[in-house]
Amino acid sequence: MTLAPQRSAGTHAGRSGAAGDSGPGPRGPESPGTPKARTKTGAQPWLMALAVAVAVAGAALSLNGVLRGWAWYSPVLSTVLTVAFTMAGLRALRWHSIFVTAGALAALALILTFTFFRPNSILGFIPSGATMTQLGRYLRRASETVLAESAPVAPNAGIVLLVCAALGLMVILVDALAYPLALPATSGLGILAILIVPAMIKPQSVGVLGFAAATAGYLLILGCSHWFAPDPRTGADTARNPGQFRRGALTGAVALTVTLLLQLVVPGFEQGTFPQGSRLNPFGPASGLNPMISLGNSLRSPTGDGRITFATNAASTPYLRSVTVDSFNGDNWAPDDRDSTRRLGTGRMDSGFESAATEVRVVTAINTGQFTSPYLPAPYAPEAVNGLTGRWSWDPATLSIKGVDANSRNQQYVVLSAAPQLTPDLLAQATGPVQDVPDQFIRTPDNVPEIVRSTAQTVTEGSTTPYARAMAIQAYLRSVDFTYSLQSPVQGGYDGNGLSVLADFLNQKSGYCIHFASAMAVMARLEGIPSRIAVGYAPGRATGATVSIGGQGALPEFEVDARDAHAWPELYFQGLGWVPFEPTPSRGVVPSYATEGQAPSGASTNENNDGLIPSNAAVPTPTPTVAPLPLPGAAAEPAGASVLRPVLYGAGAVLILGLLLASPHLARGALRRRRLSGSGAGSAAAPQAWAELRDLATDYGVAPRTSETPRHFSERLRQAGALGEPQGLDADGHRAVRSLTADFERRQYGRPPSVPGVDGVPSGARPGSGTSAGSAGSAAGAGSSEASAGPLIAAVRSSLRAHAGPLVRFRAEWLPPSILAVWRRAAAVPFRAARRTAQRTRRGLAGARSEVRGALRRVRRARRLRRS
Amino acid sequence: MDYHRISLDEALPEGQGRREDSAVAGLPLTRRPAQPPAAMDAEAFRSASERILTAINTVIDGKAEAAKLALTVLLAQGHLLLEDVPGVGKTLLAKTLARTIDCSVSRIQFTPDLLPSDVTGVSIYNQASRSFEFRPGAVFANIVIGDEINRASAKTQSALLECMEEHQVTVDGTSYRLDEPFMVVATQNPIEMEGTYPLPEAQRDRFMARISMGYPDKEAEMEMLETHQATSPLAKVTPVVTAGEVASMIATVRQVYVSQSIKEYTVSLGRATRESGMLRLGASPRSMLQLLRAAKATAALDGRDFVLPDDVVSVAESVLAHRIILDRKAASAGETAQSVVRAVLAKIPVSPDLAAAPAAALPNRR
Repeated sequence: MTLAPQRSAGTHAGRSGAAGDSGPGPRGPESPGTPKARTKTGAQPWLMALAVAVAVAGAALSLNGVLRGWAWYSPVLSTVLTVAFTMAGLRALRWHSIFVTAGALAALALILTFTFFRPNSILGFIPSGATMTQLGRYLRRASETVLAESAPVAPNAGIVLLVCAALGLMVILVDALAYPLALPATSGLGILAILIVPAMIKPQSVGVLGFAAATAGYLLILGCSHWFAPDPRTGADTARNPGQFRRGALTGAVALTVTLLLQLVVPGFEQGTFPQGSRLNPFGPASGLNPMISLGNSLRSPTGDGRITFATNAASTPYLRSVTVDSFNGDNWAPDDRDSTRRLGTGRMDSGFESAATEVRVVTAINTGQFTSPYLPAPYAPEAVNGLTGRWSWDPATLSIKGVDANSRNQQYVVLSAAPQLTPDLLAQATGPVQDVPDQFIRTPDNVPEIVRSTAQTVTEGSTTPYARAMAIQAYLRSVDFTYSLQSPVQGGYDGNGLSVLADFLNQKSGYCIHFASAMAVMARLEGIPSRIAVGYAPGRATGATVSIGGQGALPEFEVDARDAHAWPELYFQGLGWVPFEPTPSRGVVPSYATEGQAPSGASTNENNDGLIPSNAAVPTPTPTVAPLPLPGAAAEPAGASVLRPVLYGAGAVLILGLLLASPHLARGALRRRRLSGSGAGSAAAPQAWAELRDLATDYGVAPRTSETPRHFSERLRQAGALGEPQGLDADGHRAVRSLTADFERRQYGRPPSVPGVDGVPSGARPGSGTSAGSAGSAAGAGSSEASAGPLIAAVRSSLRAHAGPLVRFRAEWLPPSILAVWRRAAAVPFRAARRTAQRTRRGLAGARSEVRGALRRVRRARRLRRS
Repeated sequence: MDYHRISLDEALPEGQGRREDSAVAGLPLTRRPAQPPAAMDAEAFRSASERILTAINTVIDGKAEAAKLALTVLLAQGHLLLEDVPGVGKTLLAKTLARTIDCSVSRIQFTPDLLPSDVTGVSIYNQASRSFEFRPGAVFANIVIGDEINRASAKTQSALLECMEEHQVTVDGTSYRLDEPFMVVATQNPIEMEGTYPLPEAQRDRFMARISMGYPDKEAEMEMLETHQATSPLAKVTPVVTAGEVASMIATVRQVYVSQSIKEYTVSLGRATRESGMLRLGASPRSMLQLLRAAKATAALDGRDFVLPDDVVSVAESVLAHRIILDRKAASAGETAQSVVRAVLAKIPVSPDLAAAPAAALPNRR
């Protein structure tokens, strides 16, 4: 009794003496309190602070993309850490939780002052009047940034200050939820609040890094709080119990799997930005193998990734072309990779066509930067590419350049290209029949929607030459009827490529370059002009810088990025080769040969892509119901089929999901039916009905116990109130349960019917043969009452349903505990087996080890004996 | 010596005295019925048992359970040990049970100086016939009430053993058959243990069941004060069944069917007591037999011709609790024999095949 306090006082004195040297911080654990409480509080505040800091700082990682670059992250990190560990320190000093929060707020103010207002404050970290004026200035700047700029915004001081303050407050909030309020699970709300910002703004959503870090932090918070303050409801089953961890890991794994699989099953959500699309893609971003698919996303991307700079000596800024699409069959158009006909080496390329026009050699120096694609962007028509790293090949038919073992990332190269000087006269003269063009550029697709066909006919009515027809199609698509919109295809459900999309596009008259280009290409083929779609970049913007290229002097530099991604048709004219057109209104530059007097937007360039960013421009939204061209009956079918397909997929997915959700219900129903009808043999009927009764009771919350007799269970079921009052309306259920019990007892424990009375005693002399039948309410005995097990079960079931609450009824119907318990047992079998195997192995190993040790000892002893 | 053997006659009304002819089985093996009594029909069985129980319940208020168990033991051909504090009606229950049946009854007040021959009988030299003549002891009756059995010496107690187990008495090398039905109802007082000879395990094992009467509840006690203050309640009791009827009731009980799963359940109960960590001595195989017999009698009294697990459960505590011996650790932990039996009952699955039944019926269950 007297020893214990003395000893504890001794250690206390010693420790506080040692702590006195290191400062006030570590004094926390030695603060007054019982020794037990001391050990309990020792590490917890610090670990908890670490967990909160990891969670908030990790969630903040996802803000990259909302803020440009990473420069803003270090002030954020210092703020988060300072606030979190200030709270931990105060807590270790055993301050009241209100003062801990107040102290954290003060620490937040100090660290923000230190970071942002060092010159305008006292001693560099104490706020003063000057700090306030500076703060006002910063806030103004931040609000201007928020109003004026689109993400990613430049991390100026105002914005970073705001972010730091918000995250610091978030640390305090998360910590308050997790620690003093003891609601660790809800602390996820604070982290979620941080994650929502990038999820709303960034096209690629939160991003794997930020998500993983935030999740890890959240799990740390949960783990810490469960470790140090076990939930009293789980009793002794705390986090320290290894079983808990395994259970947690299993739950987490299942949840993760379901999350990853389910979102792939949900239809839609394939393209577009946040509200419409962009699901969490665990397999990384698209590889760029199908530029047609990624083009829409690139255009909608507000970030402008994949910046390419180039300098050229061409008179007008060239289009950069990376790949062509020429096969228009099927639902999904992709570059046709004729790998067999590709030729290695880019030193000399030749399309094989003779052009009647005079050609001008153009030199273009291109720096691809972060742009990653298997195809190389180059102005048409390239003759030689120099300076590439890696092996590249080119397609003689399309002159697209593709990496064999390289991609376009960080390539700097010079392209020598030939630009034919085309004029309308030259084109108008090119009326000769098409020769020497591969069939793939001529072939009309089999399943062209009728509306495309009829539109092409109407538009080219009266045009004689191929050039006139091409101009008519281009003029039609550039007419005021058509609007450029990145959003309406997404909203209208025809965002993509393929022939079915085309019909929708011509109806809605709204879309973006893919739609215009493919419409023109397909219509041109219908009119007998070979065509293909080129995918690449529209002319970009001048950066203002100049680049000097050997022999060319200083050339102006241009830049393009994802927002300049473009697609345009190329039409073949005999004797002139492939000629690009520009049917997309408000994009690109209409070539001089393709301009007519009436083209008002001929000079329009996308100098500033204002019209592209949907939030900045008032794009007239077409009313989807308007269909100016009457739909011929034939057109409905392919269009209908294409509309039906996603619906079918969706329906299938919904069906599968529904089946999955309903599987316990279905399994239960099947089991019931089989029990009641399948086993027609009289001997099995009563036990089957009894098993069904037990399961029914389990479903409605009166589970039988193994050590319970049938009669006792049936009594308990009737007393439990699940069947209602034994008199009056509910008498049927009670009678049914009694009857089922009596049947089962007679079948299970009674004299088997085949065995005659022992010692020749007539059966009438046996006690009970009359009375029990009387109590069962069926005078005819076992046979007849067993035949009616179905109605009895039905009566019990309806009675149970009538007296159960809606939740219980729902559970019994859709998540019957009787089935789920069986499944759970089945699911646990592998774990049990593994555990048993592990035990056996351990025991076996221990046995082997002791055997080996015994053998060694024997050998040693024998040796010693021999020696002596 | 005869004063130990108190005849019930003085308490009986006229004309219902002990019938000497049936009580003293007299010369051995001669007066036994030639063939076993025939089983009864269900209706007759029910009415007979109801008559007995009603008669007992008019005398003893609020002890229907004990009365039923006593009748169960009688029909199962067992012996009953009534153990409780003085004055709760042990002897009254025994006497009433005996009185309701028209059969011979004897009562032995056990004292330390009671001799074995007082129980079994003695051969006396008859001067007139110049031969030894057997004078039957108190045990020669259909129902023998042994009061305060733990006050007799071990020698006298063990004299009862042979009678109880084998239903016969051996004196001077001659065996004398006891009359059927034969039942010993012994009472003992667990409080005054000074100067007593507690029953050894072997002897306790011969009693089919041990019943604690327990105090009556308030209403029953009030009722008892009301009705029994003037007259002895026993005076009103008249025999409601004959010994022959009881014998055929016993025959009926014997024919009650016991299914395989009940046997398995019983065996697993017994094994569980033997394997229980709280017991020094588990239930004997004989106790399993007696448990099953008691269960059969219970089933018959319930109007059934087959045994249910409920029958086994309902008698298990009374049949098993006095045979098992608690571990010292369990005893100090506050366990009692009854609680251990209850724990075993709560642990053993009623029928193992039942749990397997649905799975067996559905081989392709997911």
